[in-house]
Amino acid sequence: MADEQKPAGSPSPAQQGAGGANPKAGAAAGAAKTAPPKPAAAAPPKPPATMAATPWDSELARDLRNRFGERIGETSTYLGQDFLVAKPDAVIPILEYLKLEGDFDYLVDITAVDWPKKPERFELVYILYSFAHNRRVRVKTAIADGYRPASAVGVHLTANWLEREVYDMFGIEFAGHPDLRRILLPEDWQGFPLRKDYSIVQQDERWVRENLGIESGQ
Amino acid sequence: MPESTFLDSTELVLNMGPQHPSTHGVLRVILKLDGEKVLGTDCVIGYLHRGVEKIAENRTYAQFNPYVDRMDYVAAVSNGLGYCLAIEKLLNVEAPPRAQAVRVILTELNRVASHLVWLGTHALDIGAITPVFYCFREREEALKIFENYCGARLTTHAFRIGGLQYETYDGFEREVLAFCDMFLPKVDEYEELLTNNRIWAGRLQRVGVLNAEECKEYGVTGPVLRAAGVKWDVRKAQPYSGYEQYEFEIPTRENGDTYDRYVVRMQEMRQSVRIMRQAVEKLAPGPIMAKVPKVIKPPVGEVYVSIEAPKGELGYYVVSDGTTQPYRVRVRPPSFVNLQALDRMVAGGLVADVVAIIGTIDIVLGEVDR
Amino acid sequence: MANLLRKIFLADLFQGLRVTFHYQNPKYICTEQYPAERPKVAERYRGAPRLNINPDNDETLCISCNLCAVACPENLIVVGWERNEQTKRKDLTTFTYDTSRCMFCGLCEDACPVDALELTQDFEMAGYTRDGQIWDREMLEQGPQPKAYRS
Repeated sequence: MADEQKPAGSPSPAQQGAGGANPKAGAAAGAAKTAPPKPAAAAPPKPPATMAATPWDSELARDLRNRFGERIGETSTYLGQDFLVAKPDAVIPILEYLKLEGDFDYLVDITAVDWPKKPERFELVYILYSFAHNRRVRVKTAIADGYRPASAVGVHLTANWLEREVYDMFGIEFAGHPDLRRILLPEDWQGFPLRKDYSIVQQDERWVRENLGIESGQ
Repeated sequence: MPESTFLDSTELVLNMGPQHPSTHGVLRVILKLDGEKVLGTDCVIGYLHRGVEKIAENRTYAQFNPYVDRMDYVAAVSNGLGYCLAIEKLLNVEAPPRAQAVRVILTELNRVASHLVWLGTHALDIGAITPVFYCFREREEALKIFENYCGARLTTHAFRIGGLQYETYDGFEREVLAFCDMFLPKVDEYEELLTNNRIWAGRLQRVGVLNAEECKEYGVTGPVLRAAGVKWDVRKAQPYSGYEQYEFEIPTRENGDTYDRYVVRMQEMRQSVRIMRQAVEKLAPGPIMAKVPKVIKPPVGEVYVSIEAPKGELGYYVVSDGTTQPYRVRVRPPSFVNLQALDRMVAGGLVADVVAIIGTIDIVLGEVDR
Repeated sequence: MANLLRKIFLADLFQGLRVTFHYQNPKYICTEQYPAERPKVAERYRGAPRLNINPDNDETLCISCNLCAVACPENLIVVGWERNEQTKRKDLTTFTYDTSRCMFCGLCEDACPVDALELTQDFEMAGYTRDGQIWDREMLEQGPQPKAYRS
């Protein structure tokens, strides 16, 4: 919204963009540039940026790797926060291990992030905290649409409502959950709002018509 | 319905509907009763669901700031603080010391205001009608300070990413200190009204017990956890915004019943006044905004930042994909997680206890439903 | 023994009643008699929006930079402008502000570089129609005109 794309053949010489990227309005000083301003179409595409995480090396990380081997993908740290990426079927054993051996007795949150372009579309995130050691760790896993991960209710009782909310918003069903039904939206709502293909102005029009008696929309 | 109860002829299913004076908002509790004894509860929430997390994906970082106040609308300043801290962590900036001190003052004032609402409404639910008038009269003074500072009483939008927008107004320190001086005797008055009162003790003691193990299992934080004996506060465990400089205590009690939560919150109000006084002394002239670009575009990454809101641990999990709009903002609401424990706390109690327990968990439906 | 006496003679209840009766004194009444006396709102209060006019030459201060519209989370400001041929500057033609969706967050007021748009201390903006809540430039420059029923 705040950027304005000016055409590449702009008269002002101060508007030459940094080499290789999209020409931005007003970008000038210090840019490595060639003599004439390049049009945007000729620039090579940049690789998608990824998180600048650094490897997380600590006793806990080593213990986890020893115990779970290659079911743990990466153990990294970003901005001082440790996380590990695990295979989907290893998540519950990891949570149990962390609770019993690592004193991570408090499950802070379970949430999901939708990356529609990836084959493993959803990224389930479990945030854990240890009272004894005063540290947090995140356990992430990537699951595909339709995969039913195991429920963490057996390990932490908090997971009950948290998983219900993930189901409600994303449609991820948890196998073994005692009471998996919608929690924030009405019981008979169709659709999973926090998925990226659900538009922000979209509503379940059938539900609105039946229950509120109006045509939905503003 | 929970599977531990099954319907037989002496049971009654009673609906404590979304419109109810004692449910602190639009909360629906389906009670399974045997006479007056409660056999099981089922909370139906979502009446105030506004899709705040979805909105966040369609607004820029600075534009989402006002929406955050509307979740826990009683303690809007805390919500704003949590969000600003999360984005500042993503950007790897820190607010300057003066901004941090003002943030602490406003957040603690907000904690006092939130606990005053809790006390007034909790007492009102139980049947003590007088405290609510006194609490709201004191809250008025606190809201006047908010209004003088940022222009709004409830949905304050007080903080910005990187610091503060407004410099403190003339007389800010004087008014805050006047509030502190005025407020401590009033807390003594509330205690005179309630603490030794036999009716109050009779209604609250041994009601809604949740011991430390159960608290940790259910992920309950905040005054509920501290009343159960766990001395844990995010401000001390993982300090933010300069809280490590201030001296304050974490009140705890052992029993974990409703009366203990009442005592813990009254003590917390006193400790908040203590922190406010120290923060006012620490106020030194300086910049109020860190160097943050005009268009906020954090690098690709994710962060989880949590603060001690008046209700418990309020966390923000923000995923950024390098554009001006966040990719995912997840708010970890303390009231939502605390409300889960309602079923355990109510088990074996009476219907009147349900009202007391809902009040003591201190939920705000705006935060439960988001 | 003292405890028993306290229990029989309801000492704790009288302690509470003492507080309550203390406040029966009329000097503690803090009710605001609205609308007879209007509350004094703070200087920074975020109330009704207003488009300010330069007092010297009676022209609007707005330079049609559109920063307020960009800053608004609800996208409810629409700025209409046309290029002035002589001065080569933008002239404001229409300015639409939808107060029915506004949440009075103040982001537009913070964004305005010339202090043309500001949220004033007026809070009496109620109306009877939903369309009446969409304010055009004239309404923004005059401010809300609540009808006074009694002087």
